[in-house]
Amino acid sequence: MSGTDAGPPDVDLGRVWLGVAAQVWRREPRWAERAARRLLRSPGLARALVTTPSLLPGWLIATAVVLVAGALATLGTGTPYVPLLAPAVAAAGIAYAYGPGIDPAWELSRSMAVSDRMVLLVRALAVFGLNAALGLAASAASGAAAALTFGWLVPMTAVCCLALAAATLAQSANIGVAAAMSGWVITVLAGNAAAGRLTAVITDSSLILPYLAFAACCGAVVLYATRIPRGTS
Amino acid sequence: MNVELTDLTRRFGRTTAVSGVTLEAGPGVFGLLGPNGAGKTSLLRMMATVIPPTSGRLRLLGRDPGSYAPRREVRRRLGYLPQTLGYYPGFTVADFVEYFALLKDMPPGRVPAAVAAAIEQVGLGDRARAKLRTLSGGMLRRAGIAQAIVNEPDLLLLDEPTAGLDPEQRVAFRSLLREFGQRATVIVSTHLVEDVGAACTQVALMEQGRIVFHGTPAELTARGEGSGAAGDAPLERGYSAVLAAARSVTAARA
Amino acid sequence: MDDDELIAAVAGGDDAALRELFSRHAPWLAARLRAVLPAAEVEDALQETFLAVWQGAGGYRPAGPAGPAGGWLWGIARRQAALLLRRRGPAAEVLPAEFMTIGQQAGDPAEAALARADLAQAVTALGPAGGLEREVWRLRYLEDRPVAEVAKLLGVPAGTVKSRAHRARRVLLGVLRGGPAAGGGTK
Repeated sequence: MSGTDAGPPDVDLGRVWLGVAAQVWRREPRWAERAARRLLRSPGLARALVTTPSLLPGWLIATAVVLVAGALATLGTGTPYVPLLAPAVAAAGIAYAYGPGIDPAWELSRSMAVSDRMVLLVRALAVFGLNAALGLAASAASGAAAALTFGWLVPMTAVCCLALAAATLAQSANIGVAAAMSGWVITVLAGNAAAGRLTAVITDSSLILPYLAFAACCGAVVLYATRIPRGTS
Repeated sequence: MNVELTDLTRRFGRTTAVSGVTLEAGPGVFGLLGPNGAGKTSLLRMMATVIPPTSGRLRLLGRDPGSYAPRREVRRRLGYLPQTLGYYPGFTVADFVEYFALLKDMPPGRVPAAVAAAIEQVGLGDRARAKLRTLSGGMLRRAGIAQAIVNEPDLLLLDEPTAGLDPEQRVAFRSLLREFGQRATVIVSTHLVEDVGAACTQVALMEQGRIVFHGTPAELTARGEGSGAAGDAPLERGYSAVLAAARSVTAARA
Repeated sequence: MDDDELIAAVAGGDDAALRELFSRHAPWLAARLRAVLPAAEVEDALQETFLAVWQGAGGYRPAGPAGPAGGWLWGIARRQAALLLRRRGPAAEVLPAEFMTIGQQAGDPAEAALARADLAQAVTALGPAGGLEREVWRLRYLEDRPVAEVAKLLGVPAGTVKSRAHRARRVLLGVLRGGPAAGGGTK
């Protein structure tokens, strides 16, 4: 620290201040981060996980609100909104898992000991799991049939993979959301036009394999988009 | 030797960014000079393990970063400041430095003290908990330097670190470089020639992907004497003289 | 910003204010602590002091019994030093006693050491060593000589001895209770 009296010559005031500052400036990990540290066995991954934009309390609350609204609407009108909403909401969350640590400081992230692919994987899985759990709870609460309660998990996987593929390819979370939303809306409307029900694309079990194949392709795209770059100077 | 490059080449499609670079660097401050587009950034990126070489041999801190485990070990002992550093507006300076300290596998018990030391060392002690979006360009650059030095790296790679820093801050920065250069290999890429003269023990000049000069700042200055090359300062004249010579060789070859 | 404003800012979570407070007050606090503790423990005590300031700034009242900022800070530093001294055990005696203490609490060597430090500091408020008030203080209160004898030794009238002794006592009590001279920068 500059510009101060030194005090006694054998007392290192700079060192004392650093000791104070270390405690004052640190961000004490909360229970979620401490649990993540033990689970993932990596403090870096744990920190990356808890800073995921779509896992922040505000985002989670918004997700819950949307799904609860859907459940209530279902109870009121009978149309199963939750299975239709859950994939879209999850896809948005996944696209924004591609956030701090990946998006703006991509070059720095790729020089880190904790690799950016690991960060993306852990974040995407966490967002997916959380959204699935919230969706299942909302779906069960809205009294839907078993087929509808679980049937949307596969389409949700596909839509989420689409979101991630688009986001990593374009290096933009917004593009990921846009691609996933439009993809899902088109699919639902096409199913509606073909079979007369909005939920056609969710309950039709012959679609499961195509969904999963599509998800696998998107996964390959993500691997390609996050590889060590060979383009750009 | 912390850095050993043998005939290192990097191509992007049909462009060759780095061509046959051979270099060795031990502890000390190493300046990398050259005009824009000379290949400095690509060279630094290869040393930061961000991109792999197209051909040639790269050894960092005694390891081959081609495979996963050695690469991870190198990255733990590496500090890198890219030319353009994105930042997360909602993070504070301390959050930012702490985040990358953890991603470098620093033991969490050591992180708070290391973060405090790095922040004070770059002169951001009175802004440690200010949000990054409230900082000026020069301050952001210093925050970037702080994350690069937080893990006390053995290999410190800085790409245009002094952009946006005022002269007083540049002086402080150069003494930081010298301090680190006593134990570690510091490689500074810059197009500001005076940055180099003051702090570097060795200098390399790149032009179109090749090293066209490698020696001490005094030797670079000597190249400029009596050559009539452009420049206000001796080092600048040496720089211009070497570049001019390199370009005429290239022209003769073409 | 003055000290009261800085402490209020610290209470509001302003770490830059804490930093400023540190740069203003750590030097003289360190000097006072150094009178009773070795350098390494001065550093520990000072670190604990400012962490306590960070936690407890909300409890500071500018016009309250703790006195002005300097006195409040010294109070915290003192407590931290006492904790350290107690941990080191009763055998720890750092400096030869230069002064006897008034009102010494029996049996607490930590308190005694700190009271000595306080007193040593306060006595400097009486003026330079060898000056009249310091001598009156020493002869009358430390060596407990009768007024007549002090007057004879110093070559001044008895009345002067009495009035100077009275004044010295007033000044010292004022300083020890945390008056303005208890703040930083006392040379």
